[in-house]
Amino acid sequence: MQILITAMELGLIFGVMSMGIFITFKILNLPDLTIDGSYTLGAAVAAVITVQGHPYLGVLAAFACGALAGIITGLLHTKLHIDPILSGILTMTGLYSINLRIMGQRPTISIFGKKDIYEVFAPWLPATVLKPAVHVLFLFIIGFLLYRFLKTQIGISMIATGDNEEMVRASSINADAMKILGLAIGNALVAGAGAFMVSYTGFADINGGTGMMVIGIASIIVGATLLGESSIFVCFIGVVVGAVLYRYVLALALSIGLAAGDLKLLSSLLVVIAVGLPSVRKRMKGAR
Amino acid sequence: MMLRLENITKTFHKGTPNEKHALHDMNFQADDGDFITVIGTNGAGKSTLLNIISGVFMPDAGAVILDGEDITKRKEHQRARHIGRLFQDPMKGTAPNMTIEENLGLAYARGTRRSLSPGIRKKDRVLFRETLAALDLGLEDRMQTKVKLLSGGQRQALTLMMATIKTPKLLLLDEHTAALDPVTAEKVMRITDERIREHKITTLMITHDVRQALQYGNKTVMLSKGRIVFTLGGEQRKNMGPDELVRYYTETAESISDTMLFSVKG
Repeated sequence: MQILITAMELGLIFGVMSMGIFITFKILNLPDLTIDGSYTLGAAVAAVITVQGHPYLGVLAAFACGALAGIITGLLHTKLHIDPILSGILTMTGLYSINLRIMGQRPTISIFGKKDIYEVFAPWLPATVLKPAVHVLFLFIIGFLLYRFLKTQIGISMIATGDNEEMVRASSINADAMKILGLAIGNALVAGAGAFMVSYTGFADINGGTGMMVIGIASIIVGATLLGESSIFVCFIGVVVGAVLYRYVLALALSIGLAAGDLKLLSSLLVVIAVGLPSVRKRMKGAR
Repeated sequence: MMLRLENITKTFHKGTPNEKHALHDMNFQADDGDFITVIGTNGAGKSTLLNIISGVFMPDAGAVILDGEDITKRKEHQRARHIGRLFQDPMKGTAPNMTIEENLGLAYARGTRRSLSPGIRKKDRVLFRETLAALDLGLEDRMQTKVKLLSGGQRQALTLMMATIKTPKLLLLDEHTAALDPVTAEKVMRITDERIREHKITTLMITHDVRQALQYGNKTVMLSKGRIVFTLGGEQRKNMGPDELVRYYTETAESISDTMLFSVKG
Protein backbone atom coordinates (compact mmCIF):
# COMPACT_ATOMS: atom_id res chain seq x y z
CA MET A 1 0.00 0.00 0.00
CA GLN A 2 2.76 2.44 0.96
CA ILE A 3 4.42 1.68 -2.37
CA LEU A 4 1.28 2.74 -4.23
CA ILE A 5 0.97 5.97 -2.25
CA THR A 6 4.62 6.80 -2.86
CA ALA A 7 4.17 6.07 -6.55
CA MET A 8 1.24 8.47 -6.71
CA GLU A 9 3.07 11.21 -4.83
CA LEU A 10 6.05 10.89 -7.17
CA GLY A 11 3.81 10.69 -10.20
CA LEU A 12 2.17 14.00 -9.32
CA ILE A 13 5.55 15.74 -9.16
CA PHE A 14 6.59 14.13 -12.42
CA GLY A 15 3.27 15.33 -13.80
CA VAL A 16 4.54 18.91 -13.45
CA MET A 17 7.74 17.91 -15.24
CA SER A 18 5.89 16.03 -17.97
CA MET A 19 3.71 19.08 -18.66
CA GLY A 20 6.92 21.00 -19.29
CA ILE A 21 8.21 18.30 -21.60
CA PHE A 22 4.81 18.26 -23.28
CA ILE A 23 5.31 21.94 -24.20
CA THR A 24 8.66 21.38 -25.91
CA PHE A 25 8.27 17.83 -27.20
CA LYS A 26 4.63 17.82 -28.29
CA ILE A 27 3.56 21.42 -28.78
CA LEU A 28 6.76 22.81 -30.26
CA ASN A 29 7.81 19.49 -31.74
CA LEU A 30 11.36 20.05 -30.43
CA PRO A 31 13.35 17.16 -28.94
CA ASP A 32 14.80 19.18 -26.07
CA LEU A 33 17.49 17.38 -24.11
CA THR A 34 18.18 20.34 -21.82
CA ILE A 35 15.69 18.67 -19.50
CA ASP A 36 18.08 16.26 -17.77
CA GLY A 37 20.24 19.26 -16.85
CA SER A 38 17.48 21.70 -15.94
CA TYR A 39 15.85 19.17 -13.59
CA THR A 40 19.07 18.94 -11.58
CA LEU A 41 19.50 22.71 -11.86
CA GLY A 42 16.11 23.21 -10.24
CA ALA A 43 16.94 20.72 -7.50
CA ALA A 44 20.36 22.28 -6.82
CA VAL A 45 19.06 25.85 -6.65
CA ALA A 46 16.10 24.86 -4.47
CA ALA A 47 18.27 22.80 -2.12
CA VAL A 48 20.80 25.57 -1.56
CA ILE A 49 18.08 28.16 -0.85
CA THR A 50 15.99 25.75 1.24
CA VAL A 51 19.02 25.09 3.44
CA GLN A 52 19.09 28.85 4.05
CA GLY A 53 15.51 28.56 5.33
CA HIS A 54 13.48 29.73 2.30
CA PRO A 55 11.83 26.70 0.64
CA TYR A 56 9.39 28.72 -1.50
CA LEU A 57 12.00 31.21 -2.61
CA GLY A 58 13.96 28.11 -3.63
CA VAL A 59 11.09 26.85 -5.78
CA LEU A 60 10.64 30.25 -7.46
CA ALA A 61 14.39 30.54 -8.10
CA ALA A 62 14.33 27.03 -9.59
CA PHE A 63 11.57 28.05 -12.03
CA ALA A 64 13.55 31.15 -13.04
CA CYS A 65 16.83 29.25 -13.51
CA GLY A 66 15.09 26.53 -15.51
CA ALA A 67 13.60 29.19 -17.79
CA LEU A 68 17.06 30.66 -18.26
CA ALA A 69 18.46 27.26 -19.25
CA GLY A 70 15.65 26.88 -21.78
CA ILE A 71 16.36 30.34 -23.19
CA ILE A 72 20.02 29.40 -23.69
CA THR A 73 19.06 26.26 -25.62
CA GLY A 74 16.57 28.33 -27.60
CA LEU A 75 19.18 30.93 -28.51
CA LEU A 76 21.67 28.25 -29.56
CA HIS A 77 19.02 26.71 -31.79
CA THR A 78 17.39 29.80 -33.32
CA LYS A 79 20.21 32.34 -33.45
CA LEU A 80 23.24 30.10 -34.04
CA HIS A 81 21.21 27.55 -36.04
CA ILE A 82 22.53 24.59 -34.05
CA ASP A 83 20.47 21.43 -34.39
CA PRO A 84 17.85 21.33 -31.58
CA ILE A 85 19.07 18.01 -30.15
CA LEU A 86 22.68 19.21 -30.06
CA SER A 87 21.63 22.58 -28.59
CA GLY A 88 19.96 20.75 -25.71
CA ILE A 89 22.90 18.42 -25.17
CA LEU A 90 25.31 21.36 -25.10
CA THR A 91 23.25 23.21 -22.48
CA MET A 92 22.73 20.03 -20.47
CA THR A 93 26.44 19.20 -20.46
CA GLY A 94 27.38 22.74 -19.49
CA LEU A 95 24.78 22.69 -16.73
CA TYR A 96 26.51 19.75 -15.05
CA SER A 97 29.44 21.99 -14.14
CA ILE A 98 27.16 24.84 -13.14
CA ASN A 99 24.98 22.57 -11.00
CA LEU A 100 28.06 21.24 -9.26
CA ARG A 101 29.20 24.81 -8.54
CA ILE A 102 25.76 25.73 -7.20
CA MET A 103 25.97 22.70 -4.90
CA GLY A 104 29.43 23.82 -3.76
CA GLN A 105 31.19 20.93 -5.56
CA ARG A 106 29.27 18.37 -3.45
CA PRO A 107 27.41 15.54 -5.19
CA THR A 108 24.43 15.78 -2.83
CA ILE A 109 22.87 18.37 -0.54
CA SER A 110 20.57 17.32 2.27
CA ILE A 111 17.86 19.64 3.56
CA PHE A 112 17.29 17.43 6.61
CA GLY A 113 15.87 19.40 9.52
CA LYS A 114 15.16 22.51 7.43
CA LYS A 115 11.77 24.00 6.54
CA ASP A 116 10.36 22.39 3.41
CA ILE A 117 7.44 23.33 1.16
CA TYR A 118 5.03 21.17 3.17
CA GLU A 119 5.55 22.95 6.44
CA VAL A 120 3.19 25.92 5.82
CA PHE A 121 0.35 23.50 5.07
CA ALA A 122 1.08 21.12 7.96
CA PRO A 123 -1.21 22.84 10.52
CA TRP A 124 -4.27 22.46 8.23
CA LEU A 125 -3.84 18.99 6.86
CA PRO A 126 -3.53 15.55 8.48
CA ALA A 127 -0.04 14.14 8.05
CA THR A 128 -1.22 11.22 5.92
CA VAL A 129 -2.62 13.38 3.11
CA LEU A 130 -0.26 16.32 3.50
CA LYS A 131 2.17 15.50 0.72
CA PRO A 132 -0.24 14.28 -1.94
CA ALA A 133 -2.58 17.20 -1.22
CA VAL A 134 0.22 19.74 -1.66
CA HIS A 135 1.32 18.01 -4.85
CA VAL A 136 -2.20 18.06 -6.25
CA LEU A 137 -2.56 21.72 -5.32
CA PHE A 138 0.61 22.76 -7.14
CA LEU A 139 -0.13 20.55 -10.09
CA PHE A 140 -3.58 22.09 -10.36
CA ILE A 141 -2.33 25.68 -10.15
CA ILE A 142 0.42 25.09 -12.70
CA GLY A 143 -1.82 23.10 -15.03
CA PHE A 144 -4.53 25.79 -14.85
CA LEU A 145 -2.12 28.64 -15.62
CA LEU A 146 -0.54 26.71 -18.47
CA TYR A 147 -3.92 25.81 -19.92
CA ARG A 148 -5.07 29.42 -19.80
CA PHE A 149 -1.80 30.54 -21.36
CA LEU A 150 -2.25 28.17 -24.31
CA LYS A 151 -5.61 29.82 -25.04
CA THR A 152 -4.10 33.31 -25.34
CA GLN A 153 -2.86 34.90 -28.56
CA ILE A 154 0.71 34.04 -27.68
CA GLY A 155 -0.37 30.54 -26.67
CA ILE A 156 -2.07 29.68 -29.94
CA SER A 157 0.84 31.27 -31.81
CA MET A 158 3.14 28.86 -29.99
CA ILE A 159 0.95 25.85 -30.78
CA ALA A 160 0.88 26.91 -34.43
CA THR A 161 4.68 27.25 -34.49
CA GLY A 162 4.96 23.55 -33.69
CA ASP A 163 2.24 22.70 -36.17
CA ASN A 164 3.26 24.67 -39.28
CA GLU A 165 6.21 27.00 -38.94
CA GLU A 166 5.96 28.29 -42.49
CA MET A 167 2.38 29.38 -41.99
CA VAL A 168 3.33 31.03 -38.72
CA ARG A 169 6.02 33.17 -40.34
CA ALA A 170 3.57 34.11 -43.09
CA SER A 171 1.12 35.24 -40.38
CA SER A 172 3.57 37.78 -38.94
CA ILE A 173 4.45 35.63 -35.92
CA ASN A 174 8.06 35.54 -34.76
CA ALA A 175 8.58 31.76 -34.79
CA ASP A 176 12.02 32.02 -33.18
CA ALA A 177 10.63 33.99 -30.24
CA MET A 178 7.87 31.38 -29.82
CA LYS A 179 10.42 28.55 -29.69
CA ILE A 180 12.58 30.36 -27.15
CA LEU A 181 9.54 31.14 -25.00
CA GLY A 182 8.33 27.53 -25.20
CA LEU A 183 11.74 26.16 -24.23
CA ALA A 184 11.82 28.63 -21.32
CA ILE A 185 8.39 27.55 -20.03
CA GLY A 186 9.13 23.86 -20.55
CA ASN A 187 12.42 23.95 -18.70
CA ALA A 188 11.00 26.18 -15.96
CA LEU A 189 8.42 23.48 -15.20
CA VAL A 190 11.06 20.74 -15.31
CA ALA A 191 13.28 22.69 -12.91
CA GLY A 192 10.24 23.36 -10.74
CA ALA A 193 9.61 19.61 -10.52
CA GLY A 194 13.26 19.18 -9.51
CA ALA A 195 12.69 21.73 -6.74
CA PHE A 196 9.53 20.00 -5.45
CA MET A 197 11.43 16.73 -5.42
CA VAL A 198 14.04 18.23 -3.06
CA SER A 199 11.35 18.87 -0.45
CA TYR A 200 9.81 15.46 -1.08
CA THR A 201 12.97 13.35 -0.85
CA GLY A 202 14.94 15.69 1.42
CA PHE A 203 18.00 16.04 -0.80
CA ALA A 204 19.36 17.12 -4.17
CA ASP A 205 21.56 14.81 -6.23
CA ILE A 206 23.91 15.95 -8.99
CA ASN A 207 22.83 12.95 -11.10
CA GLY A 208 19.14 13.29 -10.24
CA GLY A 209 18.20 14.51 -13.71
CA THR A 210 19.52 11.55 -15.68
CA GLY A 211 16.79 10.00 -17.80
CA MET A 212 14.12 12.60 -17.02
CA MET A 213 13.49 13.18 -20.72
CA VAL A 214 12.60 9.51 -21.14
CA ILE A 215 10.32 9.56 -18.09
CA GLY A 216 8.52 12.61 -19.47
CA ILE A 217 8.05 11.10 -22.90
CA ALA A 218 6.88 7.83 -21.36
CA SER A 219 4.24 9.73 -19.36
CA ILE A 220 3.07 11.63 -22.41
CA ILE A 221 2.80 8.48 -24.50
CA VAL A 222 1.00 6.48 -21.81
CA GLY A 223 -1.47 9.35 -21.37
CA ALA A 224 -2.04 9.77 -25.09
CA THR A 225 -2.57 6.03 -25.56
CA LEU A 226 -5.14 5.84 -22.76
CA LEU A 227 -7.06 9.08 -23.23
CA GLY A 228 -6.28 10.22 -26.76
CA GLU A 229 -5.24 13.70 -27.83
CA SER A 230 -8.53 15.32 -28.78
CA SER A 231 -7.77 18.62 -27.02
CA ILE A 232 -5.09 20.31 -24.92
CA PHE A 233 -7.22 19.73 -21.83
CA VAL A 234 -7.41 15.98 -22.47
CA CYS A 235 -3.67 15.94 -23.21
CA PHE A 236 -2.92 17.58 -19.85
CA ILE A 237 -5.06 15.09 -17.94
CA GLY A 238 -3.39 12.33 -19.95
CA VAL A 239 0.09 13.57 -19.13
CA VAL A 240 -0.64 13.52 -15.39
CA VAL A 241 -2.41 10.16 -15.49
CA GLY A 242 0.50 8.85 -17.56
CA ALA A 243 3.06 10.14 -15.08
CA VAL A 244 1.27 8.48 -12.14
CA LEU A 245 0.66 5.19 -13.98
CA TYR A 246 4.25 5.11 -15.11
CA ARG A 247 5.32 5.33 -11.47
CA TYR A 248 3.00 2.41 -10.65
CA VAL A 249 4.69 0.32 -13.32
CA LEU A 250 8.09 1.11 -11.83
CA ALA A 251 6.78 0.37 -8.30
CA LEU A 252 5.47 -2.94 -9.57
CA ALA A 253 8.85 -3.72 -11.11
CA LEU A 254 10.55 -3.01 -7.79
CA SER A 255 8.08 -5.17 -5.90
CA ILE A 256 8.82 -8.18 -8.11
CA GLY A 257 12.49 -7.89 -7.23
CA LEU A 258 14.16 -5.62 -9.78
CA ALA A 259 16.92 -3.42 -8.37
CA ALA A 260 16.39 0.37 -8.29
CA GLY A 261 19.28 0.68 -10.72
CA ASP A 262 17.39 -1.41 -13.29
CA LEU A 263 14.58 1.12 -13.59
CA LYS A 264 16.27 3.33 -16.19
CA LEU A 265 16.63 0.38 -18.54
CA LEU A 266 13.01 -0.52 -17.90
CA SER A 267 12.00 3.09 -18.69
CA SER A 268 13.85 3.00 -21.97
CA LEU A 269 12.29 -0.34 -22.91
CA LEU A 270 8.81 0.96 -22.09
CA VAL A 271 9.29 3.94 -24.41
CA VAL A 272 10.75 1.72 -27.13
CA ILE A 273 7.72 -0.54 -26.92
CA ALA A 274 5.22 2.33 -26.84
CA VAL A 275 6.83 4.22 -29.72
CA GLY A 276 7.85 1.19 -31.74
CA LEU A 277 4.75 -0.94 -31.40
CA PRO A 278 2.62 0.83 -34.02
CA SER A 279 5.25 0.35 -36.74
CA VAL A 280 5.78 -3.31 -35.79
CA ARG A 281 2.02 -3.82 -35.93
CA LYS A 282 1.90 -2.20 -39.35
CA ARG A 283 4.62 -4.49 -40.64
CA MET A 284 2.84 -7.57 -39.27
CA LYS A 285 -0.32 -6.52 -41.08
CA GLY A 286 1.61 -5.87 -44.26
CA ALA A 287 3.21 -9.32 -44.11
CA ARG A 288 -0.13 -11.06 -44.02
CA MET B 1 2.68 53.09 -55.90
CA MET B 2 2.31 50.07 -53.63
CA LEU B 3 5.33 47.96 -54.50
CA ARG B 4 8.62 48.78 -56.15
CA LEU B 5 11.58 46.50 -56.76
CA GLU B 6 14.81 48.29 -57.61
CA ASN B 7 17.65 46.47 -59.33
CA ILE B 8 17.00 43.17 -57.57
CA THR B 9 19.65 40.52 -58.19
CA LYS B 10 19.62 37.05 -56.70
CA THR B 11 22.05 34.23 -57.38
CA PHE B 12 21.80 30.79 -55.79
CA HIS B 13 24.82 28.60 -55.01
CA LYS B 14 27.12 31.48 -55.77
CA GLY B 15 30.69 30.48 -56.63
CA THR B 16 29.86 26.80 -57.17
CA PRO B 17 29.43 24.90 -60.45
CA ASN B 18 25.68 24.96 -59.74
CA GLU B 19 25.56 28.75 -59.72
CA LYS B 20 22.14 29.89 -60.86
CA HIS B 21 21.14 33.46 -61.62
CA ALA B 22 17.55 33.53 -60.46
CA LEU B 23 16.91 37.25 -60.90
CA HIS B 24 18.90 39.74 -62.96
CA ASP B 25 18.90 43.39 -62.02
CA MET B 26 15.13 43.37 -61.96
CA ASN B 27 13.00 46.50 -61.80
CA PHE B 28 9.34 46.08 -61.18
CA GLN B 29 6.43 48.04 -59.82
CA ALA B 30 2.82 47.58 -58.90
CA ASP B 31 0.43 50.49 -58.50
CA ASP B 32 -2.27 50.66 -55.83
CA GLY B 33 -4.96 48.13 -56.62
CA ASP B 34 -3.05 46.44 -59.41
CA PHE B 35 -3.78 42.75 -59.89
CA ILE B 36 -0.80 41.51 -61.85
CA THR B 37 -0.57 37.98 -63.18
CA VAL B 38 2.95 36.60 -63.54
CA ILE B 39 3.77 33.94 -66.12
CA GLY B 40 6.94 32.26 -67.32
CA THR B 41 8.51 28.83 -67.74
CA ASN B 42 9.90 26.75 -64.88
CA GLY B 43 13.04 28.36 -63.53
CA ALA B 44 12.13 31.78 -64.93
CA GLY B 45 12.35 33.23 -61.41
CA LYS B 46 8.65 33.65 -60.62
CA SER B 47 8.73 32.04 -57.20
CA THR B 48 12.08 33.64 -56.40
CA LEU B 49 10.47 37.00 -57.13
CA LEU B 50 7.67 36.34 -54.62
CA ASN B 51 10.10 34.95 -52.06
CA ILE B 52 12.26 38.07 -52.33
CA ILE B 53 9.21 40.26 -51.79
CA SER B 54 8.00 38.26 -48.79
CA GLY B 55 11.45 37.99 -47.24
CA VAL B 56 12.01 34.22 -47.51
CA PHE B 57 15.19 35.08 -49.43
CA MET B 58 17.32 38.18 -49.12
CA PRO B 59 18.40 39.69 -52.44
CA ASP B 60 22.14 39.92 -53.24
CA ALA B 61 21.58 43.50 -54.38
CA GLY B 62 18.70 45.92 -54.82
CA ALA B 63 15.82 47.18 -52.74
CA VAL B 64 12.23 46.17 -52.00
CA ILE B 65 9.94 49.14 -51.33
CA LEU B 66 6.45 48.50 -50.00
CA ASP B 67 4.09 51.46 -49.78
CA GLY B 68 7.00 53.91 -49.72
CA GLU B 69 8.91 52.01 -47.05
CA ASP B 70 12.19 50.22 -47.70
CA ILE B 71 11.63 46.70 -46.33
CA THR B 72 14.73 45.08 -47.86
CA LYS B 73 16.27 44.39 -44.45
CA ARG B 74 13.05 43.32 -42.73
CA LYS B 75 12.57 39.73 -41.68
CA GLU B 76 9.89 37.49 -43.12
CA HIS B 77 7.54 37.68 -40.13
CA GLN B 78 7.89 41.47 -39.97
CA ARG B 79 6.93 41.86 -43.62
CA ALA B 80 4.03 39.48 -43.11
CA ARG B 81 2.26 42.26 -41.18
CA HIS B 82 1.42 43.80 -44.54
CA ILE B 83 1.80 40.92 -46.96
CA GLY B 84 -0.65 38.03 -47.31
CA ARG B 85 0.55 34.86 -49.01
CA LEU B 86 -0.91 31.72 -50.53
CA PHE B 87 1.24 28.80 -51.62
CA GLN B 88 0.67 26.10 -54.20
CA ASP B 89 0.58 23.40 -51.53
CA PRO B 90 -2.75 23.74 -49.65
CA MET B 91 -1.04 22.18 -46.60
CA LYS B 92 1.39 25.07 -46.25
CA GLY B 93 -0.99 27.89 -45.42
CA THR B 94 -2.80 26.49 -42.38
CA ALA B 95 -1.98 24.76 -39.09
CA PRO B 96 -3.42 21.23 -39.59
CA ASN B 97 -3.91 20.23 -35.95
CA MET B 98 -5.65 23.44 -34.97
CA THR B 99 -9.30 24.25 -35.51
CA ILE B 100 -10.67 26.52 -38.24
CA GLU B 101 -11.46 29.08 -35.57
CA GLU B 102 -7.95 28.99 -34.10
CA ASN B 103 -6.40 29.37 -37.55
CA LEU B 104 -8.54 32.42 -38.22
CA GLY B 105 -7.71 33.78 -34.76
CA LEU B 106 -4.01 33.54 -35.59
CA ALA B 107 -4.52 35.30 -38.89
CA TYR B 108 -6.72 37.99 -37.40
CA ALA B 109 -3.95 39.01 -34.99
CA ARG B 110 -1.68 39.66 -37.97
CA GLY B 111 0.28 42.85 -37.58
CA THR B 112 -0.73 43.41 -33.97
CA ARG B 113 1.48 42.73 -31.00
CA ARG B 114 0.46 39.31 -29.74
CA SER B 115 -0.48 39.44 -26.08
CA LEU B 116 -1.91 37.39 -23.26
CA SER B 117 -5.43 38.41 -24.21
CA PRO B 118 -7.67 35.55 -25.35
CA GLY B 119 -6.67 34.01 -28.69
CA ILE B 120 -10.24 34.20 -29.91
CA ARG B 121 -12.71 36.75 -28.55
CA LYS B 122 -16.50 36.48 -28.70
CA LYS B 123 -16.95 39.32 -31.17
CA ASP B 124 -14.23 37.83 -33.39
CA ARG B 125 -16.29 34.66 -33.65
CA VAL B 126 -19.13 36.55 -35.28
CA LEU B 127 -16.75 38.10 -37.80
CA PHE B 128 -15.13 34.71 -38.53
CA ARG B 129 -18.53 33.14 -39.18
CA GLU B 130 -19.53 35.94 -41.55
CA THR B 131 -16.21 35.76 -43.36
CA LEU B 132 -16.49 32.02 -43.89
CA ALA B 133 -20.15 32.20 -44.83
CA ALA B 134 -19.13 34.35 -47.80
CA LEU B 135 -17.21 31.34 -49.14
CA ASP B 136 -20.40 29.33 -49.38
CA LEU B 137 -18.55 26.12 -48.47
CA GLY B 138 -20.36 25.45 -45.21
CA LEU B 139 -17.17 26.04 -43.22
CA GLU B 140 -18.93 28.53 -40.92
CA ASP B 141 -20.70 25.60 -39.22
CA ARG B 142 -17.46 23.69 -38.67
CA MET B 143 -15.51 26.22 -36.63
CA GLN B 144 -14.27 23.57 -34.18
CA THR B 145 -13.12 21.18 -36.91
CA LYS B 146 -9.41 20.55 -37.19
CA VAL B 147 -8.11 21.92 -40.47
CA LYS B 148 -6.40 18.65 -41.43
CA LEU B 149 -9.87 17.17 -41.96
CA LEU B 150 -10.68 19.67 -44.73
CA SER B 151 -10.17 19.03 -48.43
CA GLY B 152 -7.40 20.79 -50.35
CA GLY B 153 -9.85 23.26 -51.87
CA GLN B 154 -11.44 24.05 -48.51
CA ARG B 155 -8.02 24.55 -46.96
CA GLN B 156 -6.96 26.87 -49.76
CA ALA B 157 -10.18 28.87 -49.46
CA LEU B 158 -9.59 29.13 -45.70
CA THR B 159 -6.00 30.24 -46.31
CA LEU B 160 -7.31 32.95 -48.63
CA MET B 161 -9.61 34.23 -45.90
CA MET B 162 -6.75 34.09 -43.39
CA ALA B 163 -4.49 36.05 -45.73
CA THR B 164 -7.12 38.74 -46.30
CA ILE B 165 -9.15 38.90 -43.07
CA LYS B 166 -6.95 41.87 -42.16
CA THR B 167 -6.71 43.55 -45.56
CA PRO B 168 -3.02 43.33 -46.50
CA LYS B 169 -1.15 45.94 -48.51
CA LEU B 170 -0.03 43.22 -50.85
CA LEU B 171 -1.29 39.73 -51.63
CA LEU B 172 1.08 37.15 -53.15
CA LEU B 173 -0.44 34.09 -54.81
CA ASP B 174 2.01 31.39 -55.90
CA GLU B 175 0.00 29.10 -58.20
CA HIS B 176 -2.48 28.71 -55.38
CA THR B 177 -5.00 26.76 -57.47
CA ALA B 178 -2.53 24.52 -59.32
CA ALA B 179 -2.80 21.60 -56.90
CA LEU B 180 -6.62 21.54 -56.95
CA ASP B 181 -8.96 19.67 -59.27
CA PRO B 182 -10.29 21.83 -62.14
CA VAL B 183 -13.73 22.47 -60.67
CA THR B 184 -12.39 23.37 -57.22
CA ALA B 185 -9.60 25.42 -58.77
CA GLU B 186 -12.16 27.46 -60.69
CA LYS B 187 -14.21 28.04 -57.57
CA VAL B 188 -11.22 29.07 -55.43
CA MET B 189 -10.03 31.37 -58.22
CA ARG B 190 -13.44 33.02 -58.47
CA ILE B 191 -13.56 33.58 -54.71
CA THR B 192 -10.03 34.97 -54.84
CA ASP B 193 -10.96 37.42 -57.56
CA GLU B 194 -14.06 38.58 -55.69
CA ARG B 195 -12.08 39.06 -52.51
CA ILE B 196 -9.37 41.05 -54.28
CA ARG B 197 -11.88 43.31 -56.03
CA GLU B 198 -13.98 43.84 -52.93
CA HIS B 199 -11.03 45.00 -50.83
CA LYS B 200 -9.00 46.51 -53.71
CA ILE B 201 -5.94 44.49 -52.70
CA THR B 202 -2.77 44.96 -54.71
CA THR B 203 -1.98 41.44 -55.87
CA LEU B 204 0.70 39.44 -57.65
CA MET B 205 -0.40 36.03 -58.90
CA ILE B 206 1.89 33.43 -60.42
CA THR B 207 0.13 31.04 -62.76
CA HIS B 208 1.01 28.44 -65.35
CA ASP B 209 -2.39 28.79 -66.95
CA VAL B 210 -2.14 31.32 -69.76
CA ARG B 211 -5.91 31.60 -70.02
CA GLN B 212 -6.13 32.38 -66.30
CA ALA B 213 -3.31 34.92 -66.65
CA LEU B 214 -5.37 36.93 -69.13
CA GLN B 215 -8.78 36.35 -67.58
CA TYR B 216 -7.93 37.73 -64.15
CA GLY B 217 -6.22 40.95 -63.12
CA ASN B 218 -5.35 44.09 -65.05
CA LYS B 219 -1.74 43.44 -66.05
CA THR B 220 0.35 40.47 -67.08
CA VAL B 221 4.09 40.22 -66.59
CA MET B 222 6.18 37.63 -68.37
CA LEU B 223 9.43 36.40 -66.86
CA SER B 224 12.19 34.48 -68.58
CA LYS B 225 15.59 33.55 -67.18
CA GLY B 226 15.34 35.98 -64.31
CA ARG B 227 14.28 38.98 -66.38
CA ILE B 228 10.98 40.62 -67.19
CA VAL B 229 10.50 40.09 -70.92
CA PHE B 230 7.35 42.08 -71.29
CA THR B 231 4.46 43.67 -69.44
CA LEU B 232 0.99 43.57 -70.91
CA GLY B 233 -1.77 45.95 -69.97
CA GLY B 234 -4.62 48.02 -71.29
CA GLU B 235 -5.95 47.46 -74.80
CA GLN B 236 -3.09 45.25 -75.92
CA ARG B 237 -3.87 42.80 -73.11
CA LYS B 238 -7.62 42.94 -73.67
CA ASN B 239 -7.24 42.04 -77.31
CA MET B 240 -4.83 39.20 -76.75
CA GLY B 241 -5.99 35.58 -76.69
CA PRO B 242 -4.21 32.72 -74.90
CA ASP B 243 -2.75 31.28 -78.11
CA GLU B 244 -1.48 34.62 -79.18
CA LEU B 245 0.12 35.19 -75.80
CA VAL B 246 1.96 31.87 -76.01
CA ARG B 247 3.20 32.75 -79.48
CA TYR B 248 4.18 36.22 -78.37
CA TYR B 249 6.05 34.72 -75.45
CA THR B 250 7.90 32.14 -77.52
CA GLU B 251 9.04 34.79 -79.97
CA THR B 252 10.09 37.30 -77.34
CA ALA B 253 11.77 34.72 -75.11
CA GLU B 254 13.66 33.22 -78.05
CA SER B 255 14.91 36.53 -79.34
CA ILE B 256 16.09 37.35 -75.84
CA SER B 257 17.90 34.08 -75.32
CA ASP B 258 19.51 34.58 -78.74
CA THR B 259 20.83 38.01 -77.84
CA MET B 260 22.04 36.62 -74.55
CA LEU B 261 23.83 33.83 -76.35
CA PHE B 262 25.49 36.31 -78.66
CA SER B 263 26.41 38.62 -75.88
CA VAL B 264 28.03 35.75 -73.98
CA LYS B 265 29.96 34.59 -77.05
CA GLY B 266 30.78 38.06 -78.31
